[in-house]
Amino acid sequence: MTKIFSCECRRLLCNKFFIGLLAVLLFYAGQVFYLAVLPGVAHTAPFSPWSFGVYLGRLLPLLWVGALFFLTFFTSARERRAAVLTAATPADPRRYALTRCAAALVGTALLCLAALALAAVCYARLFGWYGWDTLVLPTLVTLAPPLVFALGSGWRLGEVRPWLLYVWMAFPFVLSALPLPQALGLWDGSFFAGYPLTLDALDPAFSMPASAWLAQGLTLALGLLLLALPSRKQGV
Amino acid sequence: MNVLTLTARELGRLLRGRLTWLVLALTALSPAAGLTVLRFTASETMLSRCVADPALAAGVLGGLLFALLTLWDSARASKSRVEVLTDAAVSPLTAALARLAALLVTAALALVLTTLAWLPWTAYTVGAVFDGLDYLLAYGILMGLALPLCILLAGAAWQFTRRFDLSLVLVAVLAALSLTVWRGEWQLCWLNPCVWALSDDFSNFRVLRSAAYMRLTWLLGLAGVWALSWLCIRRYGKGPLGSLARSARRVYRPLLALALLLCCGWSYAAQPFIDRSNPDLTVMSFFEIPYLEGVTFVSRTAQVFPDTKAGTVSGRASFRFENTSGQEQKVAFGVNPGYTVSDVRANGVDVPFTVSAYQEYNEALLEVTIPADGEVELTMAYRGYPQESIPTMQGGKELSAEYLCLENSALSPRLMNVLPGEDGYPAAIEITLPEAMTVIPFGSSEAEIIAEHDNGTRTWRYEDNGTGGILYAGDYVREDMEAGGIHIQFYYGRKHQAVMEAVGAADAVQAVVDYCTQHYGPLSFGAGESLKLIQSRVAGGGYAADGASLLDEAGFTIANLADGAKGAAAGEVFIHELVHQWWGLGNMFDTADPSSPWSAEGLTVYTTYRIAKELYGEDYAVENYVDQWRAAVDDYYLNFYVRCPEYLDALPEAERLAISNALSGMRQYSEMPLKILKAQELVGGEEAMDEILKGLFTRELDPMYPYLTYQEFLDACGLTEEDLSLD
Repeated sequence: MTKIFSCECRRLLCNKFFIGLLAVLLFYAGQVFYLAVLPGVAHTAPFSPWSFGVYLGRLLPLLWVGALFFLTFFTSARERRAAVLTAATPADPRRYALTRCAAALVGTALLCLAALALAAVCYARLFGWYGWDTLVLPTLVTLAPPLVFALGSGWRLGEVRPWLLYVWMAFPFVLSALPLPQALGLWDGSFFAGYPLTLDALDPAFSMPASAWLAQGLTLALGLLLLALPSRKQGV
Repeated sequence: MNVLTLTARELGRLLRGRLTWLVLALTALSPAAGLTVLRFTASETMLSRCVADPALAAGVLGGLLFALLTLWDSARASKSRVEVLTDAAVSPLTAALARLAALLVTAALALVLTTLAWLPWTAYTVGAVFDGLDYLLAYGILMGLALPLCILLAGAAWQFTRRFDLSLVLVAVLAALSLTVWRGEWQLCWLNPCVWALSDDFSNFRVLRSAAYMRLTWLLGLAGVWALSWLCIRRYGKGPLGSLARSARRVYRPLLALALLLCCGWSYAAQPFIDRSNPDLTVMSFFEIPYLEGVTFVSRTAQVFPDTKAGTVSGRASFRFENTSGQEQKVAFGVNPGYTVSDVRANGVDVPFTVSAYQEYNEALLEVTIPADGEVELTMAYRGYPQESIPTMQGGKELSAEYLCLENSALSPRLMNVLPGEDGYPAAIEITLPEAMTVIPFGSSEAEIIAEHDNGTRTWRYEDNGTGGILYAGDYVREDMEAGGIHIQFYYGRKHQAVMEAVGAADAVQAVVDYCTQHYGPLSFGAGESLKLIQSRVAGGGYAADGASLLDEAGFTIANLADGAKGAAAGEVFIHELVHQWWGLGNMFDTADPSSPWSAEGLTVYTTYRIAKELYGEDYAVENYVDQWRAAVDDYYLNFYVRCPEYLDALPEAERLAISNALSGMRQYSEMPLKILKAQELVGGEEAMDEILKGLFTRELDPMYPYLTYQEFLDACGLTEEDLSLD
């Protein structure tokens, strides 16, 4: 399986599509950083967890799309034709599917790392600021649940109908157009702009209300559950 | 197989490819970038924001996408290593022509799809001032013509180099040049034409003509380059030069390429839009021409015939002089550099004249030798396309059946070196225009219709006094009202009627003029009993003269009227813009210093608040103005960069300016009005403040520095900067 995993990773990452997606993400991230993060959010510094949260929130839809695009590699019509052959191999289909999903996760993680690296470079260049430890928690709590959920839900939708993945890509964009409650505000970054103003303190440390923790926890759990469920069709 | 059949097959193949549809889809989406990250225009009119910017962004992004598609498609056969086979089946020259034609048809399809896709949203967002013709022209010129340019460029790059990567770099370099260093060079920025604003209320033919002209110049050039590269398509195993020699055996091919390149060069050099005025604006040599001795002015007339379809002007001017010098004299005129002067006669006899190649402030020098006769009647004809001086702000010389503005030498040759007679410089101007247009002389003169013609035109006449003169005409709505003791003629574009009625424009004008005249004094440029307020096409600002004042349409766009910083409601933003007639135009302010909150906005917002208080009561004014200012100022002092300025100083200049400009906007619109309110309390209340402002408004101006400064305001209040601190 290690060989299959590295092979799948190579397939996903060593192609023009990944490079193009990376280029678009970095361009967009740069724009978001300079236009939305640099002025600072909710009276806080541009390198505060809150401003950084807005950066992540704005990038989330693009990362979501990226994650689902990776899954289209495994659900395309050509891939389904090849599934007849892979199903005939002695490899455990369930482990094979998880391996591919892990490869998609690696691709998504690399996209995230690229966006984080860009922010790190900008912070260092513009402010000489390196206090990354304060940003670890907002990063994990903002990105991990939605992206795991994207992979889990996308995986299942791709099994049903491959084109559903493309429809599902629009989900975060639809969410961003809706007036979300504060608990779901991490999905579009609005939480980071609004919540610190309610804390009645200048430059507050990062914290979240229980409802937001619960929403993110449920999202993560649901994503993991969807990934762990047995495949509807073998070999995909 | 002929080229047409092959083109149809190529097109079918292209349209079956997923990449083509991806490019089409992304091109159709690309206008969205113009609404967010790719803003090109500098104006806030609705058409600039919702039509020009999206169309320009679509031109840039769609063009680059089509360049990629062209390269991808051109390299397809060689990448698959089947070139030998395809070349054996079809001549590579024929195949290249068919591929080009198929790509151009695909680009046309992209244009149609994008235009249709964005039409409903644009029509809805732009609202009452949406104009289908402007929309189609903008997308056709700003977006549509970019696609063939990119296809030709990428195709030529491939045919010369046969390398995908190298061609990509070539396209990227030319695109980057256009987007950066050539951005201000209107004839060079091939990918992003210099369109700084589109008017909502009047036509936009001039700026779009200029963009189309630039694009067609580049189309000629790139078609020539493409034709040359086409001759270099590798044949019979030869290199580029060997293939060129072989393909050029049919002489018409290289001749065609050469003709295209020559046409491009000629088109570039002979552009009719921009003059060659001295870029050094400190040089004013035309104003230093000495007055003639013994020659005095008697009168002048001009008959002006604008061609509203072609955008040109023809006219005939007549000048009467008294020449007591007993010798020939050289009379100097300023003429628009786009005009050709002819048929110059003095007392019915042809006289010598010259037009200088040197140009200054949008004028060329016309010198005419008049005879030694005691009374001289000098007549001349002029005709041409009025040229502009600022390539990055084109549109000022718009001339159509909806709008025209002819200023000074664009209206009629402007006399420079003859002293006035007893009556000054009396002038009678006649202008013939389509019947839908209303003529508005900029000043106290009134125009009247003296003839109606069968071809749907009317001749207007007005009398003036001066060597130049400014004339506005257009499809205007006029509202007359009495306010502040004067008669006001308020002119605004017919397309803006719905917006103006929605904001209660006439009532607002009345309220503002009454209030400001009563509290601060009458406008210095009001001509005694009357004042014309004329809404102009977007021009980057307004100006005022004896009896007339200009209101730039950009101040009255739907988006601007919804700007909460200027007023609590659209009608109050309208009031805000009108108050600028007193604070901003009637009393000028120097360019705002980003580190200071002092600007025309402070007094304007404060006055708007006072008017709102008078109209709607104190509670309303406090809630919608004072409380809003306080909230904004509190926000300002909590801002990270205000608390920690060292971080702002550490930023690169561009980022620092972007942030400090955003903060200074708040300071001008919120902090300064609060300071003025505090000053009002310290000086003893509203009446005392009104007296102070009245004194400042009617003060004697220093002609060397006529601007109202913060220090003058503080001195008039008897306060110091520290007194007005809001801490």
